[in-house]
Amino acid sequence: MSENVELIRIPNQPIPTVRHIDPYDSFRGKETPLVIDNGSTNIRFGFATSANPASSTNVVAKFKERKQNKPLLLFGDAVDVESGARTQARTPWEGDVQLNFDALENALDYAFIHLGIDTPSIEHPVLMTERLASPLHSRSLTSELLFELYSVPSLTYCVDAVMSFYHNHLPTPPVPFTSDGIVVSFNTASTSVIPILHGKGLMSHAKRIPWGATQANDYLLKLIQLKYPTFPTRVMPQQTNWVLQNHCEFSADYPSLLRTLKDPAQLRLYEKVIQFPFSAPTTEEKTEEELARITERRREQGRKLQELAAKAREEKLQQKESDLQYLTALRERREEESKKEWTILLREEGFDNDAALDSTIKKLETDVKKSRKKDTDGDEMQEDVPTYPLLDVPDEELDEDGIKEKKKQRLLKAGYDARERTRKEKEREREEREAGERREEEERERDLESWAGKLRKEHEGIMTKIKERGRRRAALSDRKSAAAQARMKNIANLAADERVPKRKRKTGGGMFALADLFGADDADWAIYRKINTAAESSDEEEDLMNLQTVEAKLLAHDPTFTIEHTHASLSSQRSALMSAFRPQYEDGDFQGESILTFVMLGKARIHLSVERWRVCEAWFSPTMAGVDSAGLGEVLQNILGRFSDAEKARLVKNVFVTGGPSKLPGLIPRLQASLRPILPPEMPLAIVRAADPLNDAWRGMADFAKTDEFPKYGVTKAEYEEWGGERIKRWWGGNWNSSVSI
Amino acid sequence: MLQRTLTTCVRETKPPKGSGKKKLAVAAESDPSTPPVPTLAEQLSYLHYARPFKNPYYTKNVNRRAKNLKAVLTQERERERVERERRRQEREERMEVDGATEDDVPEEDLPTYSSIEAPPSVLPQRKYCDVTGLEGPYTDPATGLRYHDKSIYELIKSLSTSAAKDYLSARGVNPIVK
Repeated sequence: MSENVELIRIPNQPIPTVRHIDPYDSFRGKETPLVIDNGSTNIRFGFATSANPASSTNVVAKFKERKQNKPLLLFGDAVDVESGARTQARTPWEGDVQLNFDALENALDYAFIHLGIDTPSIEHPVLMTERLASPLHSRSLTSELLFELYSVPSLTYCVDAVMSFYHNHLPTPPVPFTSDGIVVSFNTASTSVIPILHGKGLMSHAKRIPWGATQANDYLLKLIQLKYPTFPTRVMPQQTNWVLQNHCEFSADYPSLLRTLKDPAQLRLYEKVIQFPFSAPTTEEKTEEELARITERRREQGRKLQELAAKAREEKLQQKESDLQYLTALRERREEESKKEWTILLREEGFDNDAALDSTIKKLETDVKKSRKKDTDGDEMQEDVPTYPLLDVPDEELDEDGIKEKKKQRLLKAGYDARERTRKEKEREREEREAGERREEEERERDLESWAGKLRKEHEGIMTKIKERGRRRAALSDRKSAAAQARMKNIANLAADERVPKRKRKTGGGMFALADLFGADDADWAIYRKINTAAESSDEEEDLMNLQTVEAKLLAHDPTFTIEHTHASLSSQRSALMSAFRPQYEDGDFQGESILTFVMLGKARIHLSVERWRVCEAWFSPTMAGVDSAGLGEVLQNILGRFSDAEKARLVKNVFVTGGPSKLPGLIPRLQASLRPILPPEMPLAIVRAADPLNDAWRGMADFAKTDEFPKYGVTKAEYEEWGGERIKRWWGGNWNSSVSI
Repeated sequence: MLQRTLTTCVRETKPPKGSGKKKLAVAAESDPSTPPVPTLAEQLSYLHYARPFKNPYYTKNVNRRAKNLKAVLTQERERERVERERRRQEREERMEVDGATEDDVPEEDLPTYSSIEAPPSVLPQRKYCDVTGLEGPYTDPATGLRYHDKSIYELIKSLSTSAAKDYLSARGVNPIVK
């Protein structure tokens, strides 16, 4: 059933190679602008004249290698090489805000080193990205870093989304940039929407949703953990990231998709199975001969032990026999010796008087006889009927000892009689049972149908009883149910003091009338079973045992009663929906050499069906994942509502999506579906994705850096020293907070 | 090979004092006791690369210790509030003086990190099942989980309280720990 399903395996990350340093000579002294796209996930850097940026994950790890105690500094993908580095990894970003400037410093070092810069200071004007309405703290520290540590001549900040838009709508110079549109930028920890009118980004109308790729990744990881709480391996965020990027998509109409998925067959169709690697259990499977050898060895040991035991018994027996002989010889000597010497002799041996000697001899005799018998034949000893002669003698004829003897013999006889009686009863019961079984068999052979029908009715009766009991127990746990209230009433009655049973008032009289005769009738004690909720267990066990016997008989003889009808399988039946949603791999599912391996394989699988769309749906309604914010559709609606109709028309003619997560399939139809209803029907709506969502921001920045306008918007070193690190110049692609118009 | 050219480059331009750190290649050549094959991590490490472009006189601002996100955002909000107050004051003064409002930069024009955040949703939310993700029209009164149909309800009844709490926290509902 599951062998035909295509299994997806998460690929291993490629091993990073040592990056070579680009030659710097072509750029020396030319003052080409340096373009750095400082993103939360990836940092992209390069000279403005390069065609492509160099890109690397924005992660720094500074740690000491354990083996040789050498300090190492790793950047980007290289961090994955050493496991120790991964724990020490720092990224300059925390979500959307730059917080860790040591990491930023190291990242910039890496960038400059790999561009081959070897001048005493950076001699190129820098164009860098910052977040939409970035906090001033971040900006001031970044500026400080660049101006004071690296001594750049000028620094310009821009918003990456607008630059990506610029790149995709490049005007041919000298036409200025006057496109209109709405940019939806999908970032790592947020999603921003920025309207652009006449080439100018309207930051005051922009909005940011705190849901981005990291949150979606975390949500997917959480869903997987909830669905598979007992998964054998730990699922890492990198793996869910890969799954998110490759197998999740937006659905154009989420509610109708859910309605199709309600059907378990459809659920199965749409699901994707991801196979995780697992480590096989390390039990060695012993071969046949090994097993045989082990059993042989065990048997040998058993035999040896038996021999030892037999020998010990023999020795003891011999010892006892010799003792017996010695003591009988002693007794014979009694005749020979005089009384005094006899008592002295006895004392020496350790006996108090004659009777003790006799009893010991008798004991030894019986022991010897028994063991002899056991050795020779293992049959049950037939007990001869012991005789009690003294019982017939009347009391007057006996002396004291005789009377004692008689009492003893009476007791013994009573015990013996009782034993006989129980034995006979047991035999009778056995015979009855056998007779009953024989009758049943005859009945069954005669008429299978009616016998099966009778048993089935019994079976159902027991099952209903069990169900009733379960229901009753559930009802009792609920404080307000009728069963619980009845129980409380019973308890209250029992505890009440003036309980006058009607019976006594009628018959008795006098002072006995008010006595509480609760326990006189046996049926009264039954009330304790009713109020004690824990007393059901013994009944349950009885019922279950009956059920089992009935089922065994049915299974053995009735061809139409299969395992599926048994109570056990009925109660643990899972609904079709649950088994489609989260299939469980049982032991009987696979055939093959090693069933255990297959079951382990099965348990290391993740079935993703609804989650594939659920995670992406969270972009449009973050409340379903716990983030209290409006979704993308609603935010677009709000933003568009602040413009007049004419402007709205200009904006929606060009809806532009960019950013890494915009590569997820199904986004554009989904946006269409959410925007179309809120616009007047004659307004044209066009949604476009960036040509290269990841790198287009950098390209736009590079393009812009080559134009003549670029030097106008930068903050020079002199201006930095006058204004501080927070003030920037306001231009169409930059932020507006703390900005000065030129 | 490339590394060697770079070493010669460095030597020619005479790096300023204090910033020239020994290159890894140079170290390997001069010290015969280091292992001949550096591990991949060592190869990838750029700790030993020269950084001539750094200003050696720059003293690290101790204040640069990473403030955490909450502190930064509260600071921003404070600044914005103060700024807003100041502007309002100015505007009032100007109104008193001139009598005519100048076309000043409107207050809402200043987007800050917190003002740009999307507001909470006002649309009615759809209810989804916490376990399967399908539609979840029913709610379990004991745990508060939403479920799709009665078979899922059976499953919910058998969940432990901690598992139920996990499901709820995926939705963002964190019940108060008693």
